[in-house]
Amino acid sequence: MSNLTQAFHLVLQTDVLLAILLASIYGLVVGSLPGLSATMAVALLVPITFYLSPIAAIATIISASAMAIFSGDIPGALLRIPGTPASAAYTDEAYAMTRKGQPELALGIGLWFSALGGIAGTLSLMLLAPPLADMALNFSTYENFWLAFLGLMCATLVARSSPVKAIASMLLGLLVSCIGIENPAGTPRFTFGVTDLFGGIEVIPALVGVFAVSEVMRAMMSAEPPKMPFRRFGSILKSQWTLTKQYVKPQVRGNIVGIIIGVLPGAGADMAAWVSYSMAKRFSKTPEKFGTGHPEGLIEAGASNNASLASGWVPALLFAIPGDTITAIAIGVLYMKGLNPGPTLFTEQASSMYALYIIFIIANIIMIPLGIIMIRVASRVLRAPRSAIMPVIVLMCAVGTFATGNNLFAVMTVAAFGVIGYVMERNGFPVAAMVLGIIMGTMVEQSLVTSLMKSDGSIIPFFNRPVAAVLAAMTIAALLWPVAAWGWRSMRVATR
Amino acid sequence: MQLSDRVTGLSLVALGGLAAYGGWRLPPFPGQEMGPEVFPMVVGISLALCGAMIAAGVGRSYEDEAEADLARISAEAEADGSTAASHHSKWWELRVLIPPALLLFYYFVVDRLGFLPTAAVIVLIASLALGARARLAIPLAICAPLVVNLIFLKLLRVPLPSGMLPLPWIGLP
Amino acid sequence: MTTRTRREVLAGGGALAAAAAIGAGPAFGQAYPARPITLICPWAAGGGTDATARIVAAVLEKELKQPVNVVNRTGGSGVVGHAAIAAAPPDGYTLGIVTVEISMMHWQGLTELKPDSYTPLALMNEDPPGIQVNASSPYKTVKELADAIKASPHGSMKASGTGQGGIWHLALVGWLLAMGLKPDHVRWVPLNGAAPSMQDLAAGGLDLVTCSVPEARAIIEAGKARSLAVMAAERNPAFKDVPTLKEAMGIDYNSGAWRGFTAPKGLNPEIAKQLTAALQRVNQSKEFLDFMAARGFGVKWADAEGFAKFMDEGNKAMGVAMKAAGLAKG
Repeated sequence: MSNLTQAFHLVLQTDVLLAILLASIYGLVVGSLPGLSATMAVALLVPITFYLSPIAAIATIISASAMAIFSGDIPGALLRIPGTPASAAYTDEAYAMTRKGQPELALGIGLWFSALGGIAGTLSLMLLAPPLADMALNFSTYENFWLAFLGLMCATLVARSSPVKAIASMLLGLLVSCIGIENPAGTPRFTFGVTDLFGGIEVIPALVGVFAVSEVMRAMMSAEPPKMPFRRFGSILKSQWTLTKQYVKPQVRGNIVGIIIGVLPGAGADMAAWVSYSMAKRFSKTPEKFGTGHPEGLIEAGASNNASLASGWVPALLFAIPGDTITAIAIGVLYMKGLNPGPTLFTEQASSMYALYIIFIIANIIMIPLGIIMIRVASRVLRAPRSAIMPVIVLMCAVGTFATGNNLFAVMTVAAFGVIGYVMERNGFPVAAMVLGIIMGTMVEQSLVTSLMKSDGSIIPFFNRPVAAVLAAMTIAALLWPVAAWGWRSMRVATR
Repeated sequence: MQLSDRVTGLSLVALGGLAAYGGWRLPPFPGQEMGPEVFPMVVGISLALCGAMIAAGVGRSYEDEAEADLARISAEAEADGSTAASHHSKWWELRVLIPPALLLFYYFVVDRLGFLPTAAVIVLIASLALGARARLAIPLAICAPLVVNLIFLKLLRVPLPSGMLPLPWIGLP
Repeated sequence: MTTRTRREVLAGGGALAAAAAIGAGPAFGQAYPARPITLICPWAAGGGTDATARIVAAVLEKELKQPVNVVNRTGGSGVVGHAAIAAAPPDGYTLGIVTVEISMMHWQGLTELKPDSYTPLALMNEDPPGIQVNASSPYKTVKELADAIKASPHGSMKASGTGQGGIWHLALVGWLLAMGLKPDHVRWVPLNGAAPSMQDLAAGGLDLVTCSVPEARAIIEAGKARSLAVMAAERNPAFKDVPTLKEAMGIDYNSGAWRGFTAPKGLNPEIAKQLTAALQRVNQSKEFLDFMAARGFGVKWADAEGFAKFMDEGNKAMGVAMKAAGLAKG
């Protein structure tokens, strides 16, 4: 117990509390700006953590990333421009709610269920770290392949369009991820001699292009839509409690899926949101409402992505294996601050570990009041004239994508993907599915090709390893489900 | 740019074919039996198949259903957009390229011109193109770059090019 | 492709214009350094190279009494940042941290930049590769592992540590060649870095991993893997029980990933001397040593001349290994 009191002592320092507060505000602002992702918010914090005490340094990373993942929902819901790849899965749904005149409900769901999900994830980190970590260590490339494949199958479920076009969009995304030298051979592929393409097309510029730039392009072609009837912005938390009671199952499922995906290296919050949104749709009693401003999918996905954020720290803390891009940076900071990841961190520095848990909980609690303020401020863009908002978004797209690597090539990528996204949308190809393809591409290819290399071309290990077998069964079931459901329905119709 | 499913489908067939061919032509991978060519070939061939299905009209019914649903929600906005487009010349359509063109403008001139002037030009053009009056566009073109500059330089500590307008007091070298 | 892209020329021009605009006076009139220095890191924030760059920048700032700002210029798998360092004006106000990739990428035909495209200042770090196996593997010593490798059919054993043609791949190639085996006798499985490789080793997907011991540390301490040897001249003080290859099986093969500091080519020799001296004080500072010890990074020192020789020798050795493995172009 002395460890716990010591931990409270570590956290209740002025510098740590101040770090949590400032990093939270910073995370909220950065996450809500189109073109700036949660990963980038954390990357830009690294130089600052250099001058902080170890606990304060970790506190800034935890708070900033949790806030940024939530506030990525804000521009998504208000302008149909997702702030982070994790929000891209349900941007259309949240935006549809705003158009129905319920922006406060959409954003309130994001906030409330993100906070609950974050706390659920933290509990998993506190109580289940060793078993979860052992599970993660059972994942070799064979298991990763099935996982990635399951992730790709979400493409057809997230958009309201022809499933063939959704799959084609996803394949386009996979093709984009082929560019560069990050392939099994390490040779330049589809780079056409352009040095800047060696590193491949990064997700953020592509995301910003297909959502933000193409949105501005559409605005160029249409007259300013009539202002939404002026009315008071409703209470943000009012209906959340009702929703919490109404949708217990999606919420719990979102938490569990988020925790599991978060723990598995290489996936992370981005994938968690996609999988959860699709699961919500598949198991919903009213799947036809999805995409028209229905809360169910938002609840499950919001619960999932913040849960995965916390559980992603499990393999990072125990084995220095990053669960996602954010924990990859966090591991660097942990080492820099002498909190070397490994099992000894849990035994010899137990008080630091407890301090970390406490920070997670605090961050997810103060997310609610700070988030409400942020939503109120941000919702003013709905009242500003479009000709004032859109130009600033173009500017943010340019500077924001440039900021990650100080590389102007990202601005070129944004422009190109703006055009691609615009053409795709006009022709009924869901751009979100392409983003999913780009996110998952490297993982799919790596896991497929390296698995085949390890097995000398045999596909047996894809099925005879225990975890792989379970995942394979799930994948095949998910593939056959629509066929079976269709068969079942036609049989029932026939017998009637 | 709305194209028929036949055109988009066939262009996907072509793109998928090119990708598969490009993958197939990649140099062999020393010491391995399979390498960088596998994935583009698999993806390319699948894309070509999808393209063929789209060209043949498979899945069209889902889309009509979805469009009908969407149209119900967004009836007014969509109608507005299409009527506005109809009584303009065909050059008017090129307006759609303004945002990417502005980004390219940024790419090519920001290092020479500096962030503030480049950003001001971008904001001004975009704002006017979206129908703002000069009374809104000009103050916006002056203020927005300064605010963005402040956010990036002070909050995020990202150095932006100063170009021809070095302003040490706001942090530009 | 040409070395300098149009953009870099523009960037360089922009920097020059900026220097001219604020008045070149102080830069020439006063003693160097008269204004803040930029340190380019070709890898992303949060990684090991970034951390090394930042700790050196923090101490160097005190030595030179001018701010030293680390700028991450990522992209093109390190090519873009390395090119940006080479293309900057050689005025002493843009320096860069250069990594072992500079002696590898040009053999693969990815860039025309070579170690001699820079003014070398100082070598600060080198991490030798270790040889790790799963904790439940039957091989207790590196000798047993080597015998098993020799007895195994060609390509049946699998190893990883990073991507194809990466530094740890070449470490394995070098070791196999030193044992008189073919460079692909153990098949390399290209994975996305040391952490995923160690995870796959623990998950039972690989036979061995040749990454540096600090990178494998957390999993070794968790009891999921074992380190059998390091390919270095001396043992790592943080891992005293792990023998060197020479001690364990008499093979004198050393390799390693290193990080050093350079300036663009054509730097004034006086300024270069001043920077090397300052970097030497950084290398001996308590802050730097404590940081490197905490991360388990190997501290190394070589001055400008020694660093140039080190890079030249490493470059030639890489060429031999990469040609043998069929990784070099032309």
